[in-house]
Amino acid sequence: MTDAINPGAGGQRELIAFRIGDQEFCVDIMQVREIRGWTPATPLPRTPSYMKGVINLRGAVLPIVDLGARLGLAVCEPTERHVIMVVTVGGRTMGLLVDAVSDIINLTDNLVQPTPDVACEQVKSFVKGLFAIDERMVSLITLDRVLMDVEAEAA
Amino acid sequence: MDPFESIKQTFFQECDELLTDAEQGLLAMEAGDADSETINAVFRAVHSVKGGAGAFGLEQLIRFAHVFETIMDELRSEKMALTDEVAKTLLRAFDVLADHVAAARDGGEVEESRSAGILGEMKALIGADGVEEEADPDEDFGFVPMLVSIDGDDAAPEPASIDFGGETPAFEAAPDATDSAEIWRIEFAPKSEMYVKANEAGLVLRELARLGPTEVTIDGSDVPPLDQLSAEQAYARWTIILTTEADEAAIREVFEFVEDDCVLSITCENSDDAAAAASAEASLDLAALLARVQGAPAAAPPAPVQDLVDVSAMIARAQEVPAPASAAAPRAAAPAAAPTPITRAAPPPANANPAPAPQATIRVDLDRVDRLINAVGELVIQQAMLSQRVTESGLARSSNVALGLEDLELLTREIQDSVMAIRAQPVKSVFQRMPRLVREVADMTGKRVRLVMEGEGTEVDKTVIERLTDPITHMLRNAIDHGLETPEQRAEVDKPAEGLVRLRALHRGGRIVIEVQDDGRGINRPRVRGIAVDKGLISEDQVLSDEEVDNLIFLPGFSTAETISDISGRGVGMDVVRRSIQGLGGRISISSEPGKGSKFTLSLPLTLAVLDGMVVTAADQTLVAPLSAIVESLTPKAEDIHYVGGKDAVIRIRDTFVPLIDVGVALGFRDTPIANGSGVAVLVESEGGGKAALLVEAIQGQRQVVIKSLEANYQQIEGVAAATILGDGRVALILDVDALVTTIRRKPAARPEKRMAG
Repeated sequence: MTDAINPGAGGQRELIAFRIGDQEFCVDIMQVREIRGWTPATPLPRTPSYMKGVINLRGAVLPIVDLGARLGLAVCEPTERHVIMVVTVGGRTMGLLVDAVSDIINLTDNLVQPTPDVACEQVKSFVKGLFAIDERMVSLITLDRVLMDVEAEAA
Repeated sequence: MDPFESIKQTFFQECDELLTDAEQGLLAMEAGDADSETINAVFRAVHSVKGGAGAFGLEQLIRFAHVFETIMDELRSEKMALTDEVAKTLLRAFDVLADHVAAARDGGEVEESRSAGILGEMKALIGADGVEEEADPDEDFGFVPMLVSIDGDDAAPEPASIDFGGETPAFEAAPDATDSAEIWRIEFAPKSEMYVKANEAGLVLRELARLGPTEVTIDGSDVPPLDQLSAEQAYARWTIILTTEADEAAIREVFEFVEDDCVLSITCENSDDAAAAASAEASLDLAALLARVQGAPAAAPPAPVQDLVDVSAMIARAQEVPAPASAAAPRAAAPAAAPTPITRAAPPPANANPAPAPQATIRVDLDRVDRLINAVGELVIQQAMLSQRVTESGLARSSNVALGLEDLELLTREIQDSVMAIRAQPVKSVFQRMPRLVREVADMTGKRVRLVMEGEGTEVDKTVIERLTDPITHMLRNAIDHGLETPEQRAEVDKPAEGLVRLRALHRGGRIVIEVQDDGRGINRPRVRGIAVDKGLISEDQVLSDEEVDNLIFLPGFSTAETISDISGRGVGMDVVRRSIQGLGGRISISSEPGKGSKFTLSLPLTLAVLDGMVVTAADQTLVAPLSAIVESLTPKAEDIHYVGGKDAVIRIRDTFVPLIDVGVALGFRDTPIANGSGVAVLVESEGGGKAALLVEAIQGQRQVVIKSLEANYQQIEGVAAATILGDGRVALILDVDALVTTIRRKPAARPEKRMAG
C-alpha cells in the first residue's frame, strides 16, 4: 500500500496499480472484481489483435483484452506469470491481461496531472491523468472505452 | 403498498383475464358461434370490467363498457341478431375497450376520436334511443357492494350488509342535485395510523362539506364492546354522498394528507335518478328490490307479484350459497338464474371466475427459475467434466464409479428437462395478440382478412416466447400488406373476397415451427429478381432457383413495397426478421406459389439454454456445430473435391455438388486449408434449404451443451452463434452454420481482419 495523499485537499480514492512492460498504470479499485492467473483462452475469430479470446470464469464467458495491445503497446504473449484483472465496466465483465499487479495506491485527486499534450490520440482516450509516486510515473486510465471501440470498429 | 392500489392492481390483473375471455368469445362469435353461453360469457366479462371500473371511478372505461355491455345484452336477449357486421364492430370495439383498460392502468388517454367513433357505431347498432349515455341504475348496485365486499376481506365481513341497507336512503336524499353537479360516493375508512399522525376524520368531513351538500353515513359496526375497545384503534368508517360541481381531483385534494392512512374510494354516481327513471323499461331492478326487501320490508315494491316471488326464491337460494359476505350472496346466486329476465339488473359477482383453474399452480418470480436453470447448467457442465476425468483416470467402464456416473448423467438430464419444463409456456400468450393486429392492418389496408390460428397450446421456453412477438407481428403484417390482394383484385381471380391468413405453431423434431401462410398473390419472382439486380444484391446474369429468388427478400436492403407503407415498409425488412430469428438460434424459410400465396416457416429451438451439438476440431480449436443443422457426415475422398473457377472448392456427395467450406479458414483460425482428402466433411443444411459441407479435422462426438451468450460481456461475432463450456472447463464456440454457409461463402477471404487472436 502506497499513500499519495495531500492532506486536506479533497477527494481521495483507492487505485490498483499494475505493470505492462516497463510502464505502470492504475485503475479505480472499485472496478476490479478479482485478480487471477492466466489460463489459456479460446480465441475468437475475426477480432482485433488485442482480443485474446474468452475464458470460463465460473460458468460465465469472459472476454480477455490484452490491455497493452489495446493501449497501443506491444502485443503480449501470455505466460503463466501473467495476470488477468477481472473488471466490470458499464455492466459488462471482462478480463484485462497485464504483466503484474504491483500496488494499491491511496491517492488524492488533486495530485493527478492532466495527460500532457505529447500523447497520441489512442493513449489520450484511455489515460485520464498522470501522477508520481516514489519517482515512478503512474498513468491513471479509464476503462470505459476498452470494449466500446471494438463495437464501433466492428459496426 | 397502499391497500387501495393493490386492490386496483388486482382489478387490472383480473381485467386482463376477463379481456382475454371476452376476446375469445368474440372471436368465436365472429366465426359464427351464436351460442348463448358464448354471448353470456362475453357479457359477464365486460360487465365485470365495468363493475370494477365503477369501483375505481374510471369514467371513460365505464361509459364505453356500458355501451358495449348493452349490445351484448341485446344480443343475449335476442333483441338483436348476431350478424357478421355486429361481430366485426364488436371486435373493433373490443380493441378500444382494451385500450381504455390500458389507459386506465397506465394513466394514458384513449384517442378520443377513435373511441367516440366506435361508440357511435355501437350506438347505431342498438338504435339511437336504446342506450342512455350515462350509467344506468343497476350500475351503482353493481359496483358499490363489490367494493364493500373487497373491503370486507381486510376487515370484518359484516359492514357490507349494513352499508347495503344504508344505501337506499342515501340515494333518495340526493335528488336535489343541480344539472351540472355530480354525485360522488366516497367511502372513507381511516386506519389507526391516520390518528397517530394527528389527523382527524371530522375535519376531513367538514372540508368535504365545503364542496357541496353531503350525506354522511357512519358505519360503526366494527366498534367492539367497550371492554375490548382499544383506544388507539380506528373502528369507524364513513360513506359520504357528496353532490358537488368539483371534479374528482378536488375531492381527492381533501384527502391529500390522509390518503396513505385510510382506505378511500371515490366513485362518481352521475345522474342516478335520471337513469333510474330511464330504466323503467328495464324489466326489473333486482338489486333495488333486494335492497328494499332487506332494508325496508314494509315498502312493498310496485312490481308484479310474479316477480316478487322470484326475488324471494332467489334470496332463499342465495342464503344457501356459502359466501363470505352476506351482501355478496344474492349476487352469487343471480347468474344461476340467468334465463329469467330479472337478472338483467343483477351483476355477476366481482370475483366471478368463469373458468376455474383445474390444476393448482404457483406463481414464482422468473428470476428464481432462471437461477435454478443456471445452476442446473453448471451441474451439467460439472457432470461432464467429472465423467471426462474418470475416463482419463483409466477406470474401467464397468467399475462402480463409472456406473454411478452414468446414473448421475441420467439424473442430470432429467433434472434439466424438468427445469426446462417449468419455463415452457404455450405460445398462446403471443398468438392472442395477433387477432387485433390483423384487424388493424386489415382496416388500414382496406383488405378483408380472416385469421386462423392453430396450435396455440404448443409449449416453448419463455425466453423464446418473449422474442417471438416481433417476428410474428412482422410476418403477419407482411402477409396482409404484401401478400393478400384487395377484395377487388381477389374477385378478378375468383378468390373469395376475404383473404385467409393462417398462423400455426407445432412441434417438429425438437424444435418449434411457426408458420404464417396467406392465400394471396404469392411472390412475384421476376419483380423480386429485378429489384435485387437494381439494388446490386445479385448480378444480372446470376442463375437462381425459384427458391433462391424467394429467399432474396431476406437480404438486407431489400423491400418490394413500391411506396413505403405505414404498415410493413417501415424501413424494417425481412432481413431484420431473419436476423432476430437467427439470434434465437432459429431459421426462417419461405415457400411461395404465384397466385396461390406464400408460406413463411420459422423453426426455433424449444429453449435457448441448451443445444444438442456435434463437437468438432478445426485448426486445433474445439467447436460445436448445432446438431439440428447437420444432415450427415462423411470422409471426403480427394477425387470428390473439385474446384470451381480454380479456387472455390465443391464436393461431390452422391450426385450433387455442394460447396466445401474449410471451417478453420472461414473463421480465420488458419490460412491454409486442410490437405485434400483428409479431415471430415459435415454436411449441413442452412435455412432456406441451401446445403454445404463443412470441412473440419475431426469429429469428437455428440453432446448436449449449455449455451452461453457471448453478447452478455462482449458482442456478437459473425459465424459464431454463442459459446459453451466443455467438459474440460474450456470455452468452446458454437458455430453459426447459416452465417458460415451464406455470408462467408459469398464474401470469401475479403475480410480485412483475417488473423485470429491469440
